[in-house]
Amino acid sequence: MADVYQITIWARGVVQDMEGRHMSLIMANSADKDGKFVQAWDDYADLPDRVGVPLRKYVRISDEEIEMRYEYENKEPNMVVLMDDTIVKGMNILWGMKKGGVLVVNSKRSPDEILKFVPNKELLKKVICVDAEHAFSMEGLDFMGSEGGVEAAAVGAGISAVIAGAAVHGTDNLTLDSLVAVAANKEGAKEGYEKAVVKDL
Amino acid sequence: MSKKYCEKFKIPKHLEVPMGAVIPAPVKENRNMITGNWRTERPVIDHEACTLCLNCFLFCPDACWHLDEKEERMVWNADFCKGCLICVNECPADCLTPVNELEFKGGVVRLEKPF
Repeated sequence: MADVYQITIWARGVVQDMEGRHMSLIMANSADKDGKFVQAWDDYADLPDRVGVPLRKYVRISDEEIEMRYEYENKEPNMVVLMDDTIVKGMNILWGMKKGGVLVVNSKRSPDEILKFVPNKELLKKVICVDAEHAFSMEGLDFMGSEGGVEAAAVGAGISAVIAGAAVHGTDNLTLDSLVAVAANKEGAKEGYEKAVVKDL
Repeated sequence: MSKKYCEKFKIPKHLEVPMGAVIPAPVKENRNMITGNWRTERPVIDHEACTLCLNCFLFCPDACWHLDEKEERMVWNADFCKGCLICVNECPADCLTPVNELEFKGGVVRLEKPF
């Protein structure tokens, strides 16, 4: 089995539940558009119905068919995405990561300020920060459809497209063209790609 | 078990407790249910403006505020505060302000997994 590129997305419960799910969906859909094999899902193990609780969404991208059956979490993530920067203080976010991973943070702070709170930062090769809250206003977004049935809002209409655009710097598995084609917030995806602050370690 | 029942049913002596006894809680903080990592903003108290009205103590859903009687000031519990900011809303003296969590070095609750 070929190497599976694993992405773990951390978001805040309820308030970012929909954005986190859209993040995993547009990442997987854009890789699917490039002809890769993908999986994207969010599980209920983190009890996401509690406001503010850190919860995980997962994406897998591979050139060959993914045969990781019955594993509902990414045990060795290659990329970790934080939808909210304060999660670095509450969680061992790089849990299971092998050397050479990528960290993408939605933050107005610089990568150096974020790295102060990461004790095992020798695992990382790249840190990407993007200010999605300022790039796109949350006004006008609804939280309907956060149970995952029918999406009330278009997929990738909010801050998720901005962070996914910044995450393109971190991996070859995502391309900006297919991401812009998939996400509803097309300008946001481009803006995230342009405004991302990338630091190589 | 009262003494009478202990004798009647031959219950060992270490289980003997007077009827209606009040026992202090053996554990006051459950370290397995730390909720401090739910927080994005924390309430910061201005001790000079605080009037010790205890509104924050009353309204806190997680009992994260308590009065230090020796120092005569309110004490905040960083490990269990979920950052709901009800105390900031209820403070009549306006001595509580919400500040982003990354402004502080302390208060780190680094769990391996969400429970």
